[in-house]
Amino acid sequence: MSAIEVRDLRVVYRRKGEPDRVALDGFSLSADREMLAMLGPNGSGKSTLMGVISQTIRPESGALISPTSRAGLSVVFQTPALDVLLTVRENLQLAGAMHGLDRATTKGRIDSVVAELGIADRIGEQVRHLSGGLARRADLARALIPHPSVLLLDEPTTGLDIDARRSFWDSMLRVRQSLGMTVLLATHLIDEAERADRVVMMREGHSVCIDTPKALRSTLGERVLRIVAQEESDIDRLASWLQTEGFQAHRIDRLLIVPHARADLLEGCPIPSASLTLAPPTLEDVYSIRTQTGVNP
Amino acid sequence: MIGLRAMSALSKRELIRQMRQPSRIIASIATPLLIWLFIVGGFSKAVGDVAGGQSNLTAYTIPGMASLTVMFASIFASISLIQDRQDGVLRAALVSPAPGWSIALSKIGAGSLIALIQAMVVLLTLPLLGHELTLVGALGAIAALACISIALIGLGLALAWIVDSTQGFHGVMNAVLMPMWLVSGAVFPVEDAAGWLRVITLVNPLTWAHAAMRDALGMSDQMSPAIAWSVSIGFALFGILLGAWTISRSRQTS
Repeated sequence: MSAIEVRDLRVVYRRKGEPDRVALDGFSLSADREMLAMLGPNGSGKSTLMGVISQTIRPESGALISPTSRAGLSVVFQTPALDVLLTVRENLQLAGAMHGLDRATTKGRIDSVVAELGIADRIGEQVRHLSGGLARRADLARALIPHPSVLLLDEPTTGLDIDARRSFWDSMLRVRQSLGMTVLLATHLIDEAERADRVVMMREGHSVCIDTPKALRSTLGERVLRIVAQEESDIDRLASWLQTEGFQAHRIDRLLIVPHARADLLEGCPIPSASLTLAPPTLEDVYSIRTQTGVNP
Repeated sequence: MIGLRAMSALSKRELIRQMRQPSRIIASIATPLLIWLFIVGGFSKAVGDVAGGQSNLTAYTIPGMASLTVMFASIFASISLIQDRQDGVLRAALVSPAPGWSIALSKIGAGSLIALIQAMVVLLTLPLLGHELTLVGALGAIAALACISIALIGLGLALAWIVDSTQGFHGVMNAVLMPMWLVSGAVFPVEDAAGWLRVITLVNPLTWAHAAMRDALGMSDQMSPAIAWSVSIGFALFGILLGAWTISRSRQTS
């Protein structure tokens, strides 16, 4: 059995006076000893899936096959789940107690995790006195105290600057290797998803594709052409030109993404004011096409 | 075992938080003392002796002020659940293996301890007002106040779980608890109340908690101590069960 396995999940939010909202619809997924990133627009079901896995949201139908209990599970939320009036050490002691660890075990784990995450010298400070980046690392330490086999990261670097994000991920990836956890990451940041072993892209409660970042990029061929049109009216002309050339273009606002593109397309563009870029495909190209147009390129 | 460990750690956390927020303690004690000052300043001469001549209004209202202190502290304890659940440490607790009752009992236990320490400060004014305060009397009063605190925090937790905003919670608590306190014999003897008001006071569990407290402090009125203690203890048990049940049951929602 995989560390994380869900099958045919359906979650519907029903609120009085509001139309029902389907958050997950027939969603299945499994992950084991890997880092799986979820990419999708707001409302695509990422946080709901985390809620089902952490057993705080009950699906209307379908099954959470594993994890079967909360014992081997930890969650890092969008904002730190730390008591700002407590010191880092007091927060970590609390985390140990919430998972039933005795004092000696908790102390040993605190010592090793704060050393691993580079916050040993700040352990006696109240969380309210820490910077955002340090508070995130302290929150990661909190989640690691029980030595979870499954770690859920729900947009864990929201609001952090570039250095703090890098520092968070350096710590995270180092610890992940030493503990051998299965990590499920919800993120909007493409570069964070690139660090994952596999990426699942979500749209309206469905999984639209799941594979390694490299395999997902390769679905668009060796190169893509990105065309930005200046005028709305140029879009249709560009699309018809590409069609006559035998290419399928995917439109996202005034951007056209053309998978499997050739260099000679740069020469024949009928709209001189359009900006054309030929480049290897990125995960963002795949994301834009799969989650915004819903098309399988 | 995990439940007890979690309860102990969460209770310790509540106490640490309290010690690091002295303004909360001051607010909980100062407001009742100010209310008391205005009531006795305005009415004591007009009312004279109360409770069958056994006490004056100045001393008679002290138990009511102690219960008001407990009430404010209980509201603070309950309201912290909303913030904890939305953006605080409780989110991690709710996805941990710790049982829901451990969360409820830690809030009730630590919140009550804090409330009782604050109420003790108010009770200690009794000797200064010429009313004897024995050790047995003080312990009895604390027991009655504990019943009030446990019940109100339990009720508050149940409400805080349903109401999403602190503003909404304050509104409901003020609308329910202040009238409950005013018609509980806190500021006037129940037996002196008008007929319709007397009926309302008798179905109010706070009335009986005040009667139990006054029984312990030797300010006995005409209310049966046996009924007073039974109702008070029952009220506290109801609060514990309601708080623990609400959090345990509502932990998984869809």
